[in-house]
Amino acid sequence: MIIGDGHSVLFYLVILAFIAGALVPLAFRNSRKASVASFAPGAAGSVLTIALAASIAVSGTALEMPLPFAAAATEIEFQFYIDGMSAFFMLIIGLVTLAVSIYSIGYSSEYHEKRSIRALGFLFNLFVLSMILVVASDNVFSFLVFWEAMSLASFFLVIYEHESEGSIRAGMTYIVMTHLGTAFILGSFLAMYFQTGSLSFDSFRSPGSPMPAYIRDIVFVLALVGFGTKAGLVPMHVWLPQAHPSAPSNVSALMSAVMIKTAIYGLARVTLDFAAPSSPDSAWWGMLMVVAGSASALIGVLYAAIEKDIKRALAFSSIENIGIVILGLGLSVVFLSFGLQALAAVALLASMYHSLNHAAFKSLLFMGAGSVLFGTHTKNMEQLGGLAKKMPWTALLFLIGAIAISGLPPLNGFASEWLTMQALLSSYQVPNVALQVSISFASIAFALTAGIALATFVRMFGATFLSRPRSKEAEHAKEVPKTMIAGMSVAAGLCIVFGILPFAATGMIASSFGLDESVASFNVLTVPYSVSGIESISSMSMPAVAVMMGAAGAAIAGFVLASGSRKTARKIYSTWDCGFGELNERMEYTASSLSQPIRTVFRALYKPRMTISKDRYSDSNPYMKKSMRVESETKDVFEDRLYAPAVKTAVGFFDRVRRIQTGKVNAYLLYVMIALALLLLLARVMP
Amino acid sequence: MTGLEILPADILTISSAGLLIATFGVVVRRGFADWLSAYRYQTIVLAGVTAVIAYYTGVWEIYVAAALTLVIKAVVIPRVLVRVTRKIKDEFKIEANPYVGLRLSVLISALLVALSYALTQQMLSSSSLDVVAMTCLPVSVSLFFIGLFVIVSRRMALNQVVGLLIIENGLFLFTTALTHGVSLVIEIGIFADILVGVVISAILLFRISQTFDTLDIGSLEKLRDD
Amino acid sequence: MADVATVAIGVVQAAGIVALAPFLTGVMRKVKARTQKRVGASVLQPYYDLAKLLKKDEVVSDQSSWVFRAAPWVMMVATVTAALFVPALLPLSPFGAVGDVLVVLGLFGLARFFTMLAGLDVASAFGGLGTSREMMMSALAEPAMFMTIFVVSLTLGGTNLSSLVGAAAQSAGFVAVPSMLFALIAFFIVILAETGKVPFDNPATHLELTMIHEAMVLEYSGKSLALVQWSQSIKQLILLALLVNLFFPAGMPPSLDAGWQVAAGAGAFVAKVALVAALVAFVETRVAKWRLFRVPDLLVMAIASSMIGVIFYYL
Repeated sequence: MIIGDGHSVLFYLVILAFIAGALVPLAFRNSRKASVASFAPGAAGSVLTIALAASIAVSGTALEMPLPFAAAATEIEFQFYIDGMSAFFMLIIGLVTLAVSIYSIGYSSEYHEKRSIRALGFLFNLFVLSMILVVASDNVFSFLVFWEAMSLASFFLVIYEHESEGSIRAGMTYIVMTHLGTAFILGSFLAMYFQTGSLSFDSFRSPGSPMPAYIRDIVFVLALVGFGTKAGLVPMHVWLPQAHPSAPSNVSALMSAVMIKTAIYGLARVTLDFAAPSSPDSAWWGMLMVVAGSASALIGVLYAAIEKDIKRALAFSSIENIGIVILGLGLSVVFLSFGLQALAAVALLASMYHSLNHAAFKSLLFMGAGSVLFGTHTKNMEQLGGLAKKMPWTALLFLIGAIAISGLPPLNGFASEWLTMQALLSSYQVPNVALQVSISFASIAFALTAGIALATFVRMFGATFLSRPRSKEAEHAKEVPKTMIAGMSVAAGLCIVFGILPFAATGMIASSFGLDESVASFNVLTVPYSVSGIESISSMSMPAVAVMMGAAGAAIAGFVLASGSRKTARKIYSTWDCGFGELNERMEYTASSLSQPIRTVFRALYKPRMTISKDRYSDSNPYMKKSMRVESETKDVFEDRLYAPAVKTAVGFFDRVRRIQTGKVNAYLLYVMIALALLLLLARVMP
Repeated sequence: MTGLEILPADILTISSAGLLIATFGVVVRRGFADWLSAYRYQTIVLAGVTAVIAYYTGVWEIYVAAALTLVIKAVVIPRVLVRVTRKIKDEFKIEANPYVGLRLSVLISALLVALSYALTQQMLSSSSLDVVAMTCLPVSVSLFFIGLFVIVSRRMALNQVVGLLIIENGLFLFTTALTHGVSLVIEIGIFADILVGVVISAILLFRISQTFDTLDIGSLEKLRDD
Repeated sequence: MADVATVAIGVVQAAGIVALAPFLTGVMRKVKARTQKRVGASVLQPYYDLAKLLKKDEVVSDQSSWVFRAAPWVMMVATVTAALFVPALLPLSPFGAVGDVLVVLGLFGLARFFTMLAGLDVASAFGGLGTSREMMMSALAEPAMFMTIFVVSLTLGGTNLSSLVGAAAQSAGFVAVPSMLFALIAFFIVILAETGKVPFDNPATHLELTMIHEAMVLEYSGKSLALVQWSQSIKQLILLALLVNLFFPAGMPPSLDAGWQVAAGAGAFVAKVALVAALVAFVETRVAKWRLFRVPDLLVMAIASSMIGVIFYYL
């Protein structure tokens, strides 16, 4: 550490702020004071994080600092090194945490006098701090320590509402899956360690002798599975839609918007930094990521489209978006493998930009869902409706998030999806027909994802906020406290700023990843083309599009006002009811009925089962019915077809293994004895 | 072959053989008081072996260790054990129905000694060990295996302590023979350790006998989670 | 772009699209009426309708929120902005560098997003019905559209509409590449779906079994209805303009230097669009509305067709 270096002082301040946020609330018995005492330092810490990360990212420098209390053994110590890549992810963490911390002050009042706010504040700050330190780590030891700290803190947050059976189940699935993932990550690091003989990331980055190809392949595959598990990549995603919705909504926002990004960070670190592809031999890495990414995107969104629980639907949508991010990363790796540096920059920019954007709008949407939960105490979309009138601010902010995540101009989701599409379209430059055709299939999946995402969020917003309330709770909903609105507004502001001024994001990504900035020079995104002898440049300028939309709006308003020769009146009257009399909430479309056509079209995936039971007045006349009851359910194919059999086999196997656990002390000692004898025998036969 | 044949070679081998015989003596005893006295004899032999080692190596600390062995293991531990188990019913102190019959146990112990010699051949031939280690290594490993076997084969928890003590003696011999006496402080620490260990296990056993009204460790099976 | 003249050209061209859009709707209705042995209303009828609607009072559902009131404006803004990026009368759009074909699609998506929300906002079963069907259709139309763009961008270079149409204009009347032919089939189907034509949707009836788009906007009246209808017309014209300019560039001036060529090109454009519109209207008469769950088959066919186009290009 260089004393007096402003950056490292800032780094320590960040750590101190979050530690303060974790510890200070423990002194307060009063819930209200405890929540302020934990989330205010959290917000301050995130502001510091943003300052630190932004200054490193923009300047394109790096900050190195071993902690002063490092242990004697050189490998087992905390070592931090913040380069552009770390700084970028740190920035994502800071931005989202700022919004969520402000939001949490209000949101935690949901739990006042019911649960320990102190525990919530403690775990929350610990969770954020460990995420920051994960991306700052510079050796395997500190990476894994904070990775585990992050997993454990989030595990306890997932089971925060521990009375519910579902929470515990979700937490267990989460902790098991995440540890499986960590095992793979550890394997990946160890594979590199055996090559370099050192645990520091520095040695991975520049090994003494280049790693053999097969080692690099092993490193990549293990990292993809390990980090893919944390990221929620299909088919390792099953924990995500269980765990994310079970946590308190502010934590769900952090988990979905930020925590899964640490996995993207790890994957990017391994594939771009440690084992950067340089020859066409590693193109299959990228292709594997493209396939896994597009499959995740499609499957995630298909489940999001039919999910009734608003938070679960958002969690599935996180799987979708992480799929898009990994698709972009994969394309970047494919392009790098063939030496197409410029295109790789476009794809990487798309991927990282989408990471940032997803952090903004997914945190916004989860906070919005939390507000709905706060106001109505239900997250079942079937029982919501009509909230736009009761909670206008929440509705407006949620709508901004919905537009952004659906990839519509002029918000940020569109800009990053535009770049992703350009990267897909540019795949014609890959000199391999098989890859070209495969990527075009991935493009279909991507476009279908975009189409269904639009439908998903129309449905989510419509079923939650529009038409009539479908339950008493929704009818009596009230607008949420100001701090929650403020927190959501921060995230909504990010969606707008990163949309209308892409350079705010892309310029920073370019400098922090050391990319050529020509792709994103001053808010105009450009991609050059050269096909069939035609040279052209595709470009798009978000600010100009926004200005044009404004101008068009003004022109239309002017025209409409001018053309109306007299003032027109607006009459409020009931909705057209075909003359049958009062419409009521039982006649309108619900969330399930909205998704029914999609469910039918994709029935091969959902395996929907519908049972209709009819109660007739008399058996003789089948047409007169007293009542009818329709039940429909869909299944998660992955849980049913992949995990359930796997778990069953494993349980069966271990049941058999368990027989050696007799409960007799003698038997255990016999095993010890046998083991000892075998060991000695081994020493005997092996010279 | 198992050390029972008396060779005119040297006193070390003979004393080691004596140790093994004394160990068998512990194995065949059925009752608590019986094996305790057998253990006392075994320990005296062990102290003798240790003294021989001390004589061979000329390290004065090993004399101290031998003396300590004599005092603590042959006198203090048996006394303590008798004292803390006074309240345990006599019926729990007798191994009425072991998993492996006592005569068979002796046979198996003999086999284990053979096995130990066979298994340690490699180490004996490969490394540059001195004569003390060469002689005592197989013996200590034998004690180790026999101790484990005693624990495995006994049903009464109290009588399993004997296995533990045999293992401990084996370990002691092992360290002394190979390292020619670790630091005396450590040695004393180990003695204190075994003393406390024996006391604690005896107290635990007493609690078990109070709770379950038996010391048959078969009943511990109920603790298994199904 | 800084040039005032080019900006003016772009604005005028967009204004032309906006102004001509109702005319195109009128033409299609006329052709449809004639092929059905009816006289039909004047081709200018959509203008009369708009003028009338703009002056009328509005009735707004008491169940609706601000989303319902904002939706027509968003639709209109989105489609008019899209019109700015589309080369129609000229083989050039001065704003091509600002917004490409993907932006146009995005803006259509924005319009659709609000149309669907408006359908839900009034709490009637019709609106929900329309929205749920539109959700399925638009989701499936999206990949067909994107893959069509994939082929076009491979063949003509990039996604900048100005340069795409410029490249098409250099070719001999028709971009005669097999991949483009498959893309054309896909694009035609997508246009039918996007503009609510017969095998997908029947805007002429107000019968709950058939309608999709009409169901969503059923509650609109007055100014709002005018905006909804107009934006629908503009979208239709933009899609047809893309079709003729990308796939049938015949008659387009290769350069903008000669004034008479440009004028002839603009005339040719109007004629071609009218022709394609007539074809669409004719198809509408000849084909019956498909059952809702057969519609995906048609869209999947479009996806497959464009995918074959891509494969043809690569092989």
